[in-house]
Amino acid sequence: MDSSSVTCKKLTVIAVLAVLIQVFGLALFVLGFFPVKPALSGFSGVESFYPPGADSAEFQNITNLSDSQLKYLYQELSLVPPLFDRLILMVIDGLPAEFVLGKDGEPPPKSFKEAMPYTQSLLSKGRAIGYHAKAAPPTVTMPRLKAMVSGAVGGFLDVAFNFNTQALLDDNIIVQFLKVGWKLVMHGDDTWLKLFPGMFSRHDGVSSFFVKDTIQVDQNVSRHLVDELSRSDWSLLILHYLGLDHVGHLGGRNSVLMVPKLGEMDEVVKMIDLNSSPTNNNDQGRTLLLVVSDHGMTENGNHGGSSFEETDSLALFIGPTNFGSTSGTPNKANQVDLSSTLALLFGVPIPKNNVGMLMPETFKSLTVDQQLRLLELNSWQLLRLLEAQLPGLVCENFSCDNFRDDGSERTRGYSSLEETFCCLYMKAADLHRSWKSGEEKRSASGDNCHSILMAYHNFLRTASEWLSHRATDKPVGRLIFGVAAMLVSCLILLSLLFLLGKQVFSEQNQQFPSANNDLSWWHLDEVFILVVIVIVVISMGSSSLVEEEQYIWHFMTSSLYLLSLRKVMQHIVTRTEQNTSATLGLKTNNYIQICSIFVILISGRFLRGWHQGGVNWTNLPDISKWLEQGGDTYIKLFQLVSVIILINISLVSLMWSRRSKKNFMTVVSLMHLFPGWLVLHYITKYQDVAFSTGSYDATLMAQVIYVVLGFCSTTIVVAVPWCIPFQNRTLSAPEVQRKAWGLCFRDSAYVIGLSYVYYWSLLQLLLQQPLNSMPVLFLFLQVLASIWFSSGSNQHRRQWVEVAALYYMGMAGHFGLGNTNTLATIDVAGAFIGVLNHSTILSGVLMFIITYASPMLYLLSMVMYNSVKDTSSFIISEKGNIGSLLKRTLGFPCLVPLGMNSILLIAYTIVLLLMRNHLFVWSVFSPKFLYVCAMTVCVCVGVSIVASTVIYISLVLTYREKLHTHTD
Amino acid sequence: MKMKKNDKNGGNAILSVSPLKAITLQPICLLGLGLAFWVPSHICSLDLITHPSQTLRMISVFLAPVVILLYSHLRHDRSQCSYVKAVGRGLLALPAGAIVNALGATILGAPVGFKYFPKTFHWSLLMSLLTFVPAACVFGSSWTDWHRIFARTKASESTDYMISLPAHGAVIGAWFGAWPMPLDWESPWQEWPICVTYGAIAGYLVGLVASLGCIIFCNRQQHLKEE
Repeated sequence: MDSSSVTCKKLTVIAVLAVLIQVFGLALFVLGFFPVKPALSGFSGVESFYPPGADSAEFQNITNLSDSQLKYLYQELSLVPPLFDRLILMVIDGLPAEFVLGKDGEPPPKSFKEAMPYTQSLLSKGRAIGYHAKAAPPTVTMPRLKAMVSGAVGGFLDVAFNFNTQALLDDNIIVQFLKVGWKLVMHGDDTWLKLFPGMFSRHDGVSSFFVKDTIQVDQNVSRHLVDELSRSDWSLLILHYLGLDHVGHLGGRNSVLMVPKLGEMDEVVKMIDLNSSPTNNNDQGRTLLLVVSDHGMTENGNHGGSSFEETDSLALFIGPTNFGSTSGTPNKANQVDLSSTLALLFGVPIPKNNVGMLMPETFKSLTVDQQLRLLELNSWQLLRLLEAQLPGLVCENFSCDNFRDDGSERTRGYSSLEETFCCLYMKAADLHRSWKSGEEKRSASGDNCHSILMAYHNFLRTASEWLSHRATDKPVGRLIFGVAAMLVSCLILLSLLFLLGKQVFSEQNQQFPSANNDLSWWHLDEVFILVVIVIVVISMGSSSLVEEEQYIWHFMTSSLYLLSLRKVMQHIVTRTEQNTSATLGLKTNNYIQICSIFVILISGRFLRGWHQGGVNWTNLPDISKWLEQGGDTYIKLFQLVSVIILINISLVSLMWSRRSKKNFMTVVSLMHLFPGWLVLHYITKYQDVAFSTGSYDATLMAQVIYVVLGFCSTTIVVAVPWCIPFQNRTLSAPEVQRKAWGLCFRDSAYVIGLSYVYYWSLLQLLLQQPLNSMPVLFLFLQVLASIWFSSGSNQHRRQWVEVAALYYMGMAGHFGLGNTNTLATIDVAGAFIGVLNHSTILSGVLMFIITYASPMLYLLSMVMYNSVKDTSSFIISEKGNIGSLLKRTLGFPCLVPLGMNSILLIAYTIVLLLMRNHLFVWSVFSPKFLYVCAMTVCVCVGVSIVASTVIYISLVLTYREKLHTHTD
Repeated sequence: MKMKKNDKNGGNAILSVSPLKAITLQPICLLGLGLAFWVPSHICSLDLITHPSQTLRMISVFLAPVVILLYSHLRHDRSQCSYVKAVGRGLLALPAGAIVNALGATILGAPVGFKYFPKTFHWSLLMSLLTFVPAACVFGSSWTDWHRIFARTKASESTDYMISLPAHGAVIGAWFGAWPMPLDWESPWQEWPICVTYGAIAGYLVGLVASLGCIIFCNRQQHLKEE
């Protein structure tokens, strides 16, 4: 071996190092891009009316209170009577606050102002208070609604971890209202129904899908208005108008439809306000009309990003009477402030994860005592949240000597974040306490109470800002460092691959000088492999292609195999032409190759047709829908047939293994047969009951299958290298012995690889939804066929092309099993098979196994792939260097998947960074990124299994050989 | 095997398609294609987008005689094969090539179903006319020639160029034509097989022009050598 080449050890160390760097960079990036904030679970209750740290034991006995009792308890505890009884929340999707309130002290454009005469008159009369409520990016409807009702700026991972369900599980104002016995009604965007399933007593959801419709979508909401306003049974009425957003999407801010649409909204406001004015009928109570928009829009009518135009959303409080002294200038607030404001206005606990502070102008009609009490409640809630996020926050530790200082120096005097918060809070609390104690004397001047208000505002504003920035700010340094680490690891892996390829190429040239001509050219399929990577990387930048990624993989994989077919065809006749006395073996090889390509192509087509996949065309017919219509009996039949065929094929392929002792093969076949039979038994007997009732027997059976599968695979891996007989023991010629060693290696790798693939498929048949059993069989067939295919091609294809083709097929199969790049298709039901106590970790592992069935299958098949590559000639020439053997057999199967995955990972990370303000960043790009991350984990796990298995086999064989020579 | 080799040599000896002939044949072919497109749209007011199946059928009906009759003039083994026989071979190859094309398209993801069957069928007839029929008219069942043209893409003389380049162009064009299909532009032409047909025709035209260029270039080279 010449000095320039990389040794096996070096290669391994560098590759492992590169993978570690990659994982490290990825972790940094993920933590930076998706900040995980410790959200408090559960819902706020009575404790929110006591200062933090109060004994929680006394709150336990209130759990069995009825709705109305709870309501009175809250009123009693809060010491402030609720200002309003009923709430009409009118959401106008996409309305920039500028249209109503103007910008920078300027009035809104004249045409808009004239379009909303009633609203403007309310504003000028002081019956309405308008806010520029700044929304946090992404300015898209669902996260914004969540922010409004929960008061928290949601991170993406919170969404991602609620697989399948879009329901809002965190504490929020809607649930708080429901708890005090409110009846909720919703008309408008069906996002509300997704967020709060089953909570509305009446609802009429409209879809925001038809963007071209600007009329009907709002009429569907308004048609309920007369009826609902005449009723008095509801306490919260949500009206979500989508039309204005659609107008914006169609024609931008200055669309000709905008003015009439604003007029329409003004009519709605007028109608509600006239109807709920106190003179009308008093039995309905005081009604607050809150007109909000979830986000603004750019000049062109788009939204999603973080520009002022997009984040400038409206909050307009319209009460039955004047709000007290209000200045004419519009106020500024954050969108998250709505939740705490509403909670305090209606006398319910503030949601636990709320980061907003109350909007003080809405409380002007209250007495100073009451205002201070509400500020205190809000401060307690924020302090609780701060304590959860800053574990070291214990206010007794800080002396805060300088809290008597001037209020304008808010943060300057304090050394740490914790101290800042504590001192600001304690200053306000102390002032408030002294105010309360001096209250009897009624001597407090206006100046004194003003300073308390200021102190509370200081604390609230500082805490609120810090908390909400924590959720949205992206630490740039960490992101850059993560990307750099991933880039470095990608480059290392690729350069290793390049070095290895060069070395192997030069060795092959020495060995087969005749084939030189054939190898020195770039072949069409090799070029195509690279083209596929480039195309996939480019397609990642387009949201619609990310949604429909399955088309790319299916199309490219079948094109690749059609190219391979063409290549095989080329060689067929060259051989017969060049020497007519060519061995029959080569000819049959070619036929095997052609047949296996057809098997791959046809199974691939079935896999493609099985699930329509994607997002936009899911409703088109496919085989799975067709089967579902056919009924359960057909599905079950298919399932049984696929299990039986799978068992048979594996047994036949086991026999195909060349030379082995009969007894040994019988044992291995039995070990294949038994788990197969168990799975068959499970499917016939338990599968129907497993989902419905979660019966104990079914769970036990599934657990038994897990144990048996685990036991069988471990036994086979451990035992096979010891049991495979060495051939030609009597001959002592070293060359023959090397050859025997090689054959032995190939045999054991074959048996172990086949067992891996077979057991994995069995596990999938158990876990996957019944519809997917046939695709699993097709995947198994594809794996075997591609192994046959590579066994036929010795020197005419470069190894990395074959490995890359396997990787591509794994990706195509991934989508063939019905996976998409949205989180909705993750099979959650299967993740609870055989799990008795709901263990998150176990279910997570099962979910991973189900989702990454196909890529993992192909990675595991690399062991088998190693067995069919003809290494014997190589071993002889290498004089027994085990390192170089491992390098040749393991180098490509491990490095190619790692390298490809690292390219896709770094490319997608950069795409995600570029798209961070895209409209679909949360709905399309981030879920896809999670898939890419999980794929990285999958590749790492698979590659390490393959590498350790092959290393184990060769070590055992070498040891046995040594033992053998010694005994001789 | 030996028979085939002889066959090829014999063919070469007899056949010498003058570039002039090729150059005259190609524009006729082009004209036929243009006519086949023009007639359905202007006389029967059929459009590829609105009536893909009927339009494709019309195109095939107009194109088939042009292609078969023209390429049969170029048949390789003139001593054994009459003009009528060459035409017959072309007619036979039409459905056979259609089956191969349809299978290839299906494997690459063309939709399957009763609704799509007529479209796929007519599209594959057209593809067969662009790819297989000319080769069948010229080479008959000579395996070596087919292999040379389609598997190895080695053209040695002007007829080879005339068959190989447009056929490959049509297939590659159709492959690229499938690209816009999954995009969500919601245009009517993204349906199977409309954009694939456009791609195939475009590729075929490029192939035709390229083959013309190749023929002229080769001819000049040959003249230079002879001089």
